[in-house]
Amino acid sequence: MITHDRAYEVLRAAQETGADFAELFMEDTRANNITVTRGEVEDAASSHRHGAGIRVFAGIRTAYAYTADTSRGALLETARAAAAAIRGDGGTCAPFSPRDCRVIPRIPFADVRNDRRVKIARDAYDGAAGYSSEIVQAMTDCIDVDSDILVCNTEGVFARDRRCRMRLFVRAVASDGKSTQTGHEGPGYGMGFEGFDRIDAADVGKRAAECAVTMLHAPECPAASLPVVIDGGFGGVIFHEACGHSLEATSVSRGNSEFCGKLGMKVAADCVSAVDDGTMPGEWGSLRIDDEGTPTRRNLLIEHGILRGYLVDRLGGLRMNMPVTGSSRRQNYTYAPTSRMTNTFILPGEDDDDAMIADCPEGLYAKSMGGGSVNPLTGEFNFSVSECYWIRDGKILTPVRGATLIGRGTQVIARIDRVGKTMTMGQGMCGSISGSIPTNVGQPRIRVSELTIGGKGGNL
Amino acid sequence: MSFETFRDTIFTLARDHGAQAELYYVEGDTFTVRIDRQEVDSYTVAKSGGVGLRVQHDRRDGYAYTESFDNPHELFNKAFDNAGTISASDEHPMNGAQVYQDVREPENPTLSLTAAEKIELAKALERAALAADPRVERVAYDIISTQRASTRICNTRGLDAYQTEGFSYCYVSPVMRDGDELRDDAAYRVNAETTDVEGCAQEAVRNTARQFGGKPVAPGKYRVLWENVSLAELLSAFTPMFSAERAQHNMSPLKDKEGRKVAGEVTIIDDPLYPKYPRAFDAEGTPSITKTVVERGVLKTLLHNLKTAKKAGCASTSNASRRSAGSPVDVSPSQFYIAPGEVPYTELVKTLGEGLIIRDVMGLHAGVNAVTGEFSLLAKGALVENGAEVRPVEQITVSGTFLGMLEQTEAVGNDLKFGLPGSSVCGAPSMVFGSLMVSGK
Repeated sequence: MITHDRAYEVLRAAQETGADFAELFMEDTRANNITVTRGEVEDAASSHRHGAGIRVFAGIRTAYAYTADTSRGALLETARAAAAAIRGDGGTCAPFSPRDCRVIPRIPFADVRNDRRVKIARDAYDGAAGYSSEIVQAMTDCIDVDSDILVCNTEGVFARDRRCRMRLFVRAVASDGKSTQTGHEGPGYGMGFEGFDRIDAADVGKRAAECAVTMLHAPECPAASLPVVIDGGFGGVIFHEACGHSLEATSVSRGNSEFCGKLGMKVAADCVSAVDDGTMPGEWGSLRIDDEGTPTRRNLLIEHGILRGYLVDRLGGLRMNMPVTGSSRRQNYTYAPTSRMTNTFILPGEDDDDAMIADCPEGLYAKSMGGGSVNPLTGEFNFSVSECYWIRDGKILTPVRGATLIGRGTQVIARIDRVGKTMTMGQGMCGSISGSIPTNVGQPRIRVSELTIGGKGGNL
Repeated sequence: MSFETFRDTIFTLARDHGAQAELYYVEGDTFTVRIDRQEVDSYTVAKSGGVGLRVQHDRRDGYAYTESFDNPHELFNKAFDNAGTISASDEHPMNGAQVYQDVREPENPTLSLTAAEKIELAKALERAALAADPRVERVAYDIISTQRASTRICNTRGLDAYQTEGFSYCYVSPVMRDGDELRDDAAYRVNAETTDVEGCAQEAVRNTARQFGGKPVAPGKYRVLWENVSLAELLSAFTPMFSAERAQHNMSPLKDKEGRKVAGEVTIIDDPLYPKYPRAFDAEGTPSITKTVVERGVLKTLLHNLKTAKKAGCASTSNASRRSAGSPVDVSPSQFYIAPGEVPYTELVKTLGEGLIIRDVMGLHAGVNAVTGEFSLLAKGALVENGAEVRPVEQITVSGTFLGMLEQTEAVGNDLKFGLPGSSVCGAPSMVFGSLMVSGK
């Protein structure tokens, strides 16, 4: 992608105004997306993203510049544009220690003809459309991304990685002529095209359709404040929103998190332990190295309710005087990296899944989640529930539609009173200041003793 | 290789393959500075550029995008191959040469400031926020950004359209403390108003301070006064409903509703020429057209690009869009707003009488479903009794359907305000609605 000599020249140009640290990130990404709607291939698009970003530090002050032109002249100009923004006391540039983490996938996307992508998208479509006559539309996307990246810096890092990921995304729409409901599923892996062997496309389509049809016949969810049982898989988005974002150095290092200064303190119930693990092979949120060239690792966040760690990037680490955790990520070269999550989940506990519902006089069972968001300063979060059921007298009474869960992060993790034995994960795209990145959320089935449930229904 | 050589090579390849080709070329530069405690905290400068290619062969469109201008053959082959994959048979016409109105960009002195002057402006914004109220503990975000972007669309049918846009904004988010309570909020100014750092800081501090002491209300049905900025955000999240592409795919509650009453006494306009962010043409090079989308509750038209218009047997409404230069042509509004009424804000509060003011909603990307028209959102605002505000409210959700809510419109304010622009920009006045389901404690 670039020779050592050229990289050295660019980094030195970035240090011309005295930066104590400079970093060059280069990227060459190819992506394909096939969309099937109404049973037909509607869109087929390919993209090739290519560019470089240069970051300089003078203490904790930083500047970032990027360019789509990676010629020598453009890289030097970009390096100087970043340098122009800071004044430092000067820094050195260590000799590079090359590290090549690239792994060739078993089936590279470039070797795959479009008809194989079309078959997957069509199978998913048929699975959804064939589920019920009430399915009036399904839209399926077969997506693959192959990214070749290089990170080098003035501390001797010169790291290459190749990141492949693929995903099948299905949205199903059910209607009875009067009202309409939707369901979605989006399994994906950090693998080459062989990852699709792990996915039963027709079944993915069917599950999205099943959710839409179930919700179509469900009454509106009542507004209430009650116990909520949340399933594993994408249910883990509750920890991601209620807690994960607030543990990122982006918020913590500036005092904008309700978890500031709480390391070693009790922040959650005893039954709650959680990690962020970027090393899990082939998972959607995994990376071998982060976007600063640091190897990823398994970071313990909460252990039996005690706060044990944050997610720390280089800048956050400087501000907080803490080591980096392999958590620095960005959507692409047009973003400076910052601390982000990878695969974040609550560890398995000892409680029985069925008893969580059986022991509940009245509450909500959230089987499948939509997305959410959080304000890390106050911990206020919200997320939508895509498939859920009302519990009465320890039994499922009826599916209900249109539920939203809200609360404050520290309150909610303190109120988790049951954690099941089997952890599963779900795939999402997480948005923050360094763009949209693939992350896994996960947990076993859990119960929160009380949450505010938003819905527009009345008595059931 | 130059854009012209690249283009000519692609067009020759297209002719050799009996295909049509359209290039969508974007280029721009960005400057952003963030100030923290009167120092430059982070600083971003960038030049970016990329070209999206749409190849039409045998009535099918394939797309490819690149940021590297060294291999037109590879780009063409990708797009041509993608076109061969398409099985849908909807015709998607391409524009030939067009004549455009002369569109004048609004004056924006911020765009010609030097980097040092922009940094000074951002520092002044932070100082103004810190000075506005003794409870301001610090400023979490303080940003000035300027951008220039140009778009060029040209195709083998003779279209060659070019336009440039400048944009600037300042944004400030103070953190305030009152006893144990910590709150944040934000305010922004765009384009010509970017230099109004004093007004921006005052507004941000006002937005933050009015949250202190907030608590939920009991669950139930409430009358609601939804404030302009927040209502514009809600409208923005529901814009896919107005897309003919969505409707033709059974993914909009407005399917087959043209000519029918879909909302209360509400008028919604889409105006690409509105003087805030005027543009001469859309993402297919169709000249801009102003239209009333909903007139006093009646849906007059959905939004069309050339493909959806051909299918519906009408003309494009100049609403072709591309999420990015690499994305297929879609449909989006341009400057899309609920027409203001004549009632001043203070009168709206009296009209509300008993109920809630909604000032801020969170979770729009998850809590809004534009396919079903439903929403359920975390909200903040204030409780109103006897026509006067009595206390702040937070940790509640508001739920309903967008059209159902518009159906219950009781009053429309005169305070039209636009949100921050994305691929489209939405505006709304503050409005009073009859009833909305609220959950709390």
